[in-house]
Amino acid sequence: MSEHTVAPVSVAAVCDRRAEFEPKIVAFVCNWCTYLGADLAGTTRLEYPPNVRIIRLPCTGRIDFNLIIKAFEMGADSVLVSGCHPGDCHYTSGNYHARRRWILFRELLQALGFDLERIYFTWISAAEGHKWQQTVKEITEKTRKLGPYTGLYRSSAASVGATLVVAPEGGHEGRPYDASPAGVGATLVVAPEGGHKGRPYDGGGEAALRETCRRLLAEGSVKVVIGYGRRGPVFVTRPEDVEQLVWNNQCLANLTVYLKRKEIRALGRPAIVVKGCDERALVVLEKESQIDRKEMYVIGMACEGMGQAKCETCEAHLPRFADEVVGEAGKHPAETGERWKSLESLLALPAAGRMAYWAREFERCVKCYACRQVCPMCYCERCLVEKNRPTEIEPSATAKGNFAWHILRAFHLAGRCVGCDECTRACPAAIDLRLLNLSLAKAAEEHFAYRAGTDPKADLLIGAYSLQDKENFIR
Amino acid sequence: MSATISQAELRELVASWIAQGKRVAGPRLVAPAFRSAPQVKPACVFYAPLESSGELSLGGFIRPANSVKEFIFPKHEELYAYRITGQGIELSEVEPPAVEQVLIAARPCDAASLPILDHVFNWDYKDELYDRKRQLTTVVTLACTAHDDACFCTSVGLGPAAERGSDAMLLELGEGEYEVRCLTEKGKALFDGKLQASERVASVPAGPEKRFDAVEVGAFVKEHFDSPFWPAHTLACLGCGACAYTCPTCHCFDIVDEGNIERGVRARNWDSCQFTMFTLHASGHNPRPNQAARQRQRIDHKFHVYPEKFGEILCTGCGNCARNCPVGMGVLGVVTAL
Repeated sequence: MSEHTVAPVSVAAVCDRRAEFEPKIVAFVCNWCTYLGADLAGTTRLEYPPNVRIIRLPCTGRIDFNLIIKAFEMGADSVLVSGCHPGDCHYTSGNYHARRRWILFRELLQALGFDLERIYFTWISAAEGHKWQQTVKEITEKTRKLGPYTGLYRSSAASVGATLVVAPEGGHEGRPYDASPAGVGATLVVAPEGGHKGRPYDGGGEAALRETCRRLLAEGSVKVVIGYGRRGPVFVTRPEDVEQLVWNNQCLANLTVYLKRKEIRALGRPAIVVKGCDERALVVLEKESQIDRKEMYVIGMACEGMGQAKCETCEAHLPRFADEVVGEAGKHPAETGERWKSLESLLALPAAGRMAYWAREFERCVKCYACRQVCPMCYCERCLVEKNRPTEIEPSATAKGNFAWHILRAFHLAGRCVGCDECTRACPAAIDLRLLNLSLAKAAEEHFAYRAGTDPKADLLIGAYSLQDKENFIR
Repeated sequence: MSATISQAELRELVASWIAQGKRVAGPRLVAPAFRSAPQVKPACVFYAPLESSGELSLGGFIRPANSVKEFIFPKHEELYAYRITGQGIELSEVEPPAVEQVLIAARPCDAASLPILDHVFNWDYKDELYDRKRQLTTVVTLACTAHDDACFCTSVGLGPAAERGSDAMLLELGEGEYEVRCLTEKGKALFDGKLQASERVASVPAGPEKRFDAVEVGAFVKEHFDSPFWPAHTLACLGCGACAYTCPTCHCFDIVDEGNIERGVRARNWDSCQFTMFTLHASGHNPRPNQAARQRQRIDHKFHVYPEKFGEILCTGCGNCARNCPVGMGVLGVVTAL
């Protein structure tokens, strides 16, 4: 049995282990404050439990969130992250950046079912030897009470029970397959139940779209139209080919993903067809200096929903920043809490239940990276998961490798994900990845009143900070 | 004369296999856990190990979204473990699995993939881990009664009741009855004494219309390595591995070491020719620099290279590549465009 497999642990074994249990605590501390604080504790002969292993880093702002996860994977029972007090950072603002990231990261860990009681954040200055002593004592005692952390990536949790039994009720017949007339491909997998499929929108959106594209291509102001075809995305370069373009309820893909691709860029100035939801990606991409809006023509489609989960609570039926809007749409529905409903169901589970849920979902993950490839925000030329000297994210589709990958993907989208749900639609293993994105989107709205891609003037969430960012979880 | 079994008896039989300690895998419904909210994806069916016979889904869907290859050639498989000691490196073998497996209600397009894969896992090096699992596996196929726009088994010489790779085949007779055709000794052993003699013989429905000629496709890719067709028709490809990983016949893998400074395992993981990293040299040179080259590789391997080497097409027409492609491509999308 390798260490990759999380072996089931019997209650008796846990009790035995508890009797002789010495908590292992990993502390990630900054070089300039907390490390010196710990040093001071030593030189002033302040005793504290030897359970803590200190890892010194230049600044809390440089502490990779993966390290926290790795520490747990390697057997830590609790993790402490500590740095300079606000205003004290050796690099002026590293701790402010860290604080903002932790606020978001904690929410992601919560959605994933990590035990937040085992993750501590503190500010300890070079003069606070006593605080270091007290903190380590307290964490050690609390961890001793909690016992060893055995719940990591466990797919069985007694407490999950009924909530997660997904066996079909009644008959064992799968849902009838819903073949779509629109052709093969994505349209088949995600055909919305009872949705109207392949039906052009009323109001002649399709004809108007073709006309617009014919005009743009004929006058030569754009060289290629990135639009929807019968089977999937099409790239129309000649006015006579605009008949390939369609506008119907199967136009699901977020085409802005193509703007980053070399082969598409080589075709020349593009016109891109976007829905209100897709368009947000353009706002973030421009803010992140990935695109120049002047170098493209944006055709916004009025849209009343594609039958997707996001459409139920969509508030952008009409694109707001497009160069031209095609079609007419009804009024936006008033915003309600519906948007968070599935996330709320997840968060209603106990932590062990949430972890068990994800462990089971991730069992199906094959690491095809479709979630990454369809994402307009995943534009790195080389993804961290592809770095193998040394390996940061294990490439294997094991519990460890899959959790590491999905945490990485979700957190790198913190404050950037525009909620197009393409990752979820693309997943061949039907993992509800949007829940992770939603947990971060909710954190962004609750703590920072920020929604990615809706306000071109707003500063990016990650990369900025405010002195007022909350820190009630930091001691 | 034929032999039949009722669905209830079949489920009992499945339960008895599970009780005997066999690993039984078959189509299983995965419904969204949180039904109160709208879902991006409705319920999907996947081949998965069955904990009870009740989990087995026998109808109402075209085919599972994954393939059966993962039960013989898993997505992650440990080859051996190592430990770095003061003096050197200690290696320890990974015990080959010894559990008998039954793949129940596999589709004919899945079953057919196994004899095709046997070639590549045995042509120069005999892959023990693969072979052991293959020997311990009995494949019980359920003939198809329906197909969708993505299905194209008839274009690659198979069909809704193709027997290749199956040890036994179930064919629906209606009213919860199945005709059972035991095709090998293994299949006979599984159903021995469990069948009723009957006069009823299942009629095999017509498969999907033939969409292309596989030999012509092979000839085309052989002749058109540098054709402008490839860049023109692969623009939409985003370079994920959804097609390869849900394909019953794609079999590329990567070997990685995973562990810490003291110990670790050498393991093989699925890999896909659609990834940039697949052919990236250490020098930084990449002989397949774009998706056009990678898509061409996929089609070339399936319809030209594999047939030349092993005498058969590396494709069973299951259509998973098209169904799982986020941008509606897949083998069929490319090949029909030829």
